[in-house]
Amino acid sequence: MTNAVAGLGLAPDAAMVTFPIDMFLPGSDISPVEARRQEFYHGLTRWRSAFGDGAAGEAPMLRVEGTSVEDAFARANHLMLANRWGDGLPLWPPTRERVNWILGGAAQPRGRTLGTFPPRGGVTTIESCAIALAMAGGRPEYLPVLVAAVEAFLDPQSGSEALQAASGSAFPVVIVNGPIGAGIRLNAGFGCLGPDPQRPAGASIGRALRLLQQNLGGALPGVGTMANYGGLRYTNVIFAEDEASLPAGWAPHGTERHGFPPGTSSISLAFANGATNIRRRGAKKETPEEDARQGMHRMADFMRVPNMAGLAGYERGTPGILMIPGVVAQTMAGLGWTKASMREFLWEHSRIPADQLRRAGGAAWIEIDTSKVARESLALDPWPITASPDNFILVVAGGGHPTNSYWLQGYSPGVVGRLIELPASFEHLLDEAERDLGAR
Amino acid sequence: MAVIEFHDPSGTIEVTQRHAPRVGALAGKRIGFVSNEQWQAYRMLPLLKTLLEADFPGIEVLPIDAFPQGNAVIGSEETAALVKASGVDAVIIGNAA
Repeated sequence: MTNAVAGLGLAPDAAMVTFPIDMFLPGSDISPVEARRQEFYHGLTRWRSAFGDGAAGEAPMLRVEGTSVEDAFARANHLMLANRWGDGLPLWPPTRERVNWILGGAAQPRGRTLGTFPPRGGVTTIESCAIALAMAGGRPEYLPVLVAAVEAFLDPQSGSEALQAASGSAFPVVIVNGPIGAGIRLNAGFGCLGPDPQRPAGASIGRALRLLQQNLGGALPGVGTMANYGGLRYTNVIFAEDEASLPAGWAPHGTERHGFPPGTSSISLAFANGATNIRRRGAKKETPEEDARQGMHRMADFMRVPNMAGLAGYERGTPGILMIPGVVAQTMAGLGWTKASMREFLWEHSRIPADQLRRAGGAAWIEIDTSKVARESLALDPWPITASPDNFILVVAGGGHPTNSYWLQGYSPGVVGRLIELPASFEHLLDEAERDLGAR
Repeated sequence: MAVIEFHDPSGTIEVTQRHAPRVGALAGKRIGFVSNEQWQAYRMLPLLKTLLEADFPGIEVLPIDAFPQGNAVIGSEETAALVKASGVDAVIIGNAA
């Protein structure tokens, strides 16, 4: 709550009476309210904020000393963890030298303000992004992607203000389109959501975004974020669409969803709260048509669930992100499928019969939803999991193997796109990366 | 001796508005509730209303539903305008979990 208060521009304290979670559950004993009523009265009458008025200032430099470089490095990490600035894994101390090096990837002045990170309201600048990227082991050529992702994250349309603090374990998913993906070695193929020493960009950028969510946004487990589980939050999800494998006539995601011209570098940010591998391929002697259609049904079946968190994006967001490998996309296209026809199929076959929806209590959640479109959807039987087929995100990504697809279940009020702005020296940065990391 | 100097990554926070002033005493005051209707607010806030009315002579505590309820509406400018127009001296906002 103090984060939320600070995010409104108020001093981060507020007159609150806090109780254990038990009292907020159905059928609870609420007699502690009576026992502690003087605290409510105090909050209304004598409480005073401990903070005075203040404007944003300079973040101070910190100093650690050690008997050796190894010792100083360990002490710096201990200091960061003690201040709750990390994710528990080793961090690069964001020294002046390292942050200045990262800022070589900035297309804008280091002091440019991008907004305030919710819910705590930490002032977010290009330099803040560089500091987080330095801590996350990043490189300067990653900075343009991180800055675009942060801009999208801070856009009110993304819903980040609520999702940062919510219990539903939302994590940002950033889809990168355009030549920058290959340029910075962002994985679009085998293991694109996991660790990859040859293509580490996604891990660093995603980790930096998470560090900003915590360090500036205050999203610490059980304090600033009430996420029950917090899955996929070490690195969030950052990957590139495998545009080289897009079938002829299939537009990149950034073009389809946001209207960016093909060939431009862009990001698209949505939130998800689950990740499921789907064995898409058939097991026996299916014809290509049978294999494709059975796979489509199987994917739709994974989507036909009462994901009440997904209501947040019922009208304009997304029910989720479906990833299919390039080899599958090529096969589907050969059989006449398009991204649009696949979305239409998934929308139609993921609908939930009304009796099943009511049995699971889903109708009550829909009745109280803020979206009129969502509330009115209750009249539909079977109930579509999203207002429009166009809301499904379908991207071509993943290793060149036909067996699996991947479903990132949505918890996303909006899907926000941003063009990526590059510094004039960007090609030089890629040359330096080749020198440091070897040939792509 | 090795020294590492590095940036504080927590940035800065800008305070742009003040908390509402407190009322000196509750007797004779007009108090409202702004409820998100979640987390047992429908039980806790009426209990608070009863307690306030019992403890402070002349206090007027508006009904729980005097203002729009629910997460979707309580943060709106429209709700704020209604609260202001009602002439309350203070409001209690609940419930968060």
